[in-house]
Amino acid sequence: MQYIYSIIKADYLQRTRSYAFLITLAVTFYAAYSFVPPPTASYTTLNVVGYKGVYNSAWVGYVSGMMTAIMLSLYGFFLVNGGIKKDIDTEVGLIIATTPITNFGYLLSKMLSNFMVLLTIAGCTFIVSIIMFFVRTTGYPFLIGNFIIPYLTFALPALFSVSALAVVAEVFLGRKSILQYIVFFFFFGIMMANVENQKNDAVATFIDMFGVHSLTGSIKSQVNSQFHEHITGVNLGFTFNRKQAFKTFEWNGITITGIFLVSRLVWLVLALGIVYFSSFFFHRFDFKQSARKTKKAVADIQPNRHTVLPSNGISMQLLPRLVTNYGIIPFIKTELLLLIRKGNKWFWLVNGGAWISMFLVPINVAHLYLLPVLWFLQVTRWSDLATKEEANRLHYFTYAAYKPLQRMLLAQIIAGMILALLLALPLVVRYAIALDYYAVFNIVNGAIFVVMLAVCLGIVSRGKKLFEILFFLLTYIITQKVTFVDYLGAVSHDNHIVYIVILLSVNVILMLAGFGVRRCQLRHV
Amino acid sequence: MSLVIKNLTKQYNKDKTGLSDYSITIEKGVLGLLGPNGAGKSTLMKIIATISKPTAGTLFLDGEDIVANPDKIRKILGYLPQDFGVYPNLNAHEFLEYIAAMKGVGGPNLRKRIDLLLEGVNLTTDAKRPIGSYSGGMKQRIGIAQALLNDPKVLIFDEPTVGLDPEERVRFRQLISDLADDCIIILSSHIVSDIETIADEVAIMKSGRLIAKATQPDIIQQVEGRVFEVLVNSDELGVIKSTQQIIDTSRQKDKTRVRYILKTDQPYTSSTGVAATLEDAYLFLTQKA
Repeated sequence: MQYIYSIIKADYLQRTRSYAFLITLAVTFYAAYSFVPPPTASYTTLNVVGYKGVYNSAWVGYVSGMMTAIMLSLYGFFLVNGGIKKDIDTEVGLIIATTPITNFGYLLSKMLSNFMVLLTIAGCTFIVSIIMFFVRTTGYPFLIGNFIIPYLTFALPALFSVSALAVVAEVFLGRKSILQYIVFFFFFGIMMANVENQKNDAVATFIDMFGVHSLTGSIKSQVNSQFHEHITGVNLGFTFNRKQAFKTFEWNGITITGIFLVSRLVWLVLALGIVYFSSFFFHRFDFKQSARKTKKAVADIQPNRHTVLPSNGISMQLLPRLVTNYGIIPFIKTELLLLIRKGNKWFWLVNGGAWISMFLVPINVAHLYLLPVLWFLQVTRWSDLATKEEANRLHYFTYAAYKPLQRMLLAQIIAGMILALLLALPLVVRYAIALDYYAVFNIVNGAIFVVMLAVCLGIVSRGKKLFEILFFLLTYIITQKVTFVDYLGAVSHDNHIVYIVILLSVNVILMLAGFGVRRCQLRHV
Repeated sequence: MSLVIKNLTKQYNKDKTGLSDYSITIEKGVLGLLGPNGAGKSTLMKIIATISKPTAGTLFLDGEDIVANPDKIRKILGYLPQDFGVYPNLNAHEFLEYIAAMKGVGGPNLRKRIDLLLEGVNLTTDAKRPIGSYSGGMKQRIGIAQALLNDPKVLIFDEPTVGLDPEERVRFRQLISDLADDCIIILSSHIVSDIETIADEVAIMKSGRLIAKATQPDIIQQVEGRVFEVLVNSDELGVIKSTQQIIDTSRQKDKTRVRYILKTDQPYTSSTGVAATLEDAYLFLTQKA
């Protein structure tokens, strides 16, 4: 047990001692603040048509706990995923493989360290929720139980399960991170939809990882019995709507039943069970396929060695005359090559399918759904656009290159944009034919935004996770037609010009921040 | 061509100093840097390679301040870091093209230049394979080739022979000798014999400070007449260890041959005086400082 504790501790410290984690915490504080909106806000986080709960302990505590369970599960997977990959990349895995630790012990420690990371974030939202109660309440008593219970019964099992899923996804889908994200996203969607559609209360309680059913059911029955209504739907999550008058009601939390508690326990056991099951399939850092490839490569090379005369070394006098060329075209070429070669080449079939579909589906569908999703599928190509030198320890060369900012970083940005615009080409062509130049400009502006966001967040956080999480959330929210984050101009609203100007300004700020921080990093290796 | 470093200090934080008031003038030829781990060798090299900014002090290349104007040296710099990586998805040819772009090397002969460099480091047959599948030694050879792409006038090699087999190491030493007439070469290594065979001058560092800089004979001179060898049994070994500075021990049947530097007035009984080497001088100076 001692070694499991040591691995968890080391893994936890390694993950949390980073700028990316600090920025994630800062974003979390803001998110937790936004879970309890002021009465004048144009959005709600728990929406019962025409009704609103008063800000008593139960409402603030449960809404905050539930939002933490859902939102943190959604982006927490992206945050904690990659723990095993890190051990492969750093080759620590090879050392671990030679120790007596069992596969299950190793995977369990990875899962628990994932869980600790998510719990740390949940701890922050918990504290903020209490602060927000005192900020927003109008004289209701502070009952600590109404804050602890939702975190224990909603957030804890959900985060525990997500921690397990992140490990299991890595075991079965290896280094195919995009595929892991897609599978998790579908799992998440199915989980939410199933709970909503399930008529049987007991079944719904058991299949509900987040405990949504119990919460919304309790609120619905409170409103229906108090106001003699027949409300069937309660929306959880950020719902943006025009300001309207609400009737208020006082809700005092859910009744904890035996079935509900057992269902929470089932999710905890299930999470441990899938980790145990996956341990039978864990590679333990023995990549047989890679070994075969290497052997083959060596076998290919060895006979050639005999046909090649041993080298006499380098004779500088024999090298052709040196010609200088300080242009950035060769850089752009290589950066594009790196972008294209990244990941599984078969994935280009999916990209190709989505690309062709953008010619065929209705233009608003292509703009609102296909393009954001197609761009999101490139998340791993863009996320390390400006950080791959450090990740591959090549920054010693690149930072010592001639004018690295003006040539190197610029080439990376241009290559990233070329990829974004090539992928958006069908839509750009269709809008150009339709003479809709606003839409074309919006897409170009959006491409700049995505690339600059990747570059800036990568440089500032010195990692790729932050961009991956934010880009995922952006993509998810934009497909929900939320105008607030409409970086593509895909959602119809009245303020297109204002949005374009804001986005242009954001792009400039991201560019200045990215260049500024990189300038500093160049001389501080 | 000369590189003049004056009062260079690199303070990482309140408790960690990389370099402390370091001054040295480096002329054409090979300067070997020797020093224990944490002596500041890599810090010095990073500062010269412009990827680390000194906290204080100046660094001039032919009168040009390269702390203020790093691009001046970057055009003529070849740098092989100690712990560099590669893009695993690129093959050797593509990788060198990429580095060439960084260094501003182009033109119609670039391909031929790369081919010749790859041939020189014996990687022609593997040039089309992704570098991710290379062995450590092959990666190191790619590193050497990239350092030479731009006909550098300042070459910095940080532990260049790590991973090279004996034959490659000999070839590398030959290369350094060929380049030395025309360039400033700064080379650090833990392997004293590498420095011994290549370096015109040796700089010994400890705790961020320069403790000696001279030609090899001058450095060795400092321990000449003080190095001895003796064959002893295990009991005697303990006595020598407590009174002399042990340089090396080797087992010979049931006895141990001990090489030591004299710390007392008289050598141990039956000891024989031997010719001092750079390693003796290095160990003597670093322990004394």
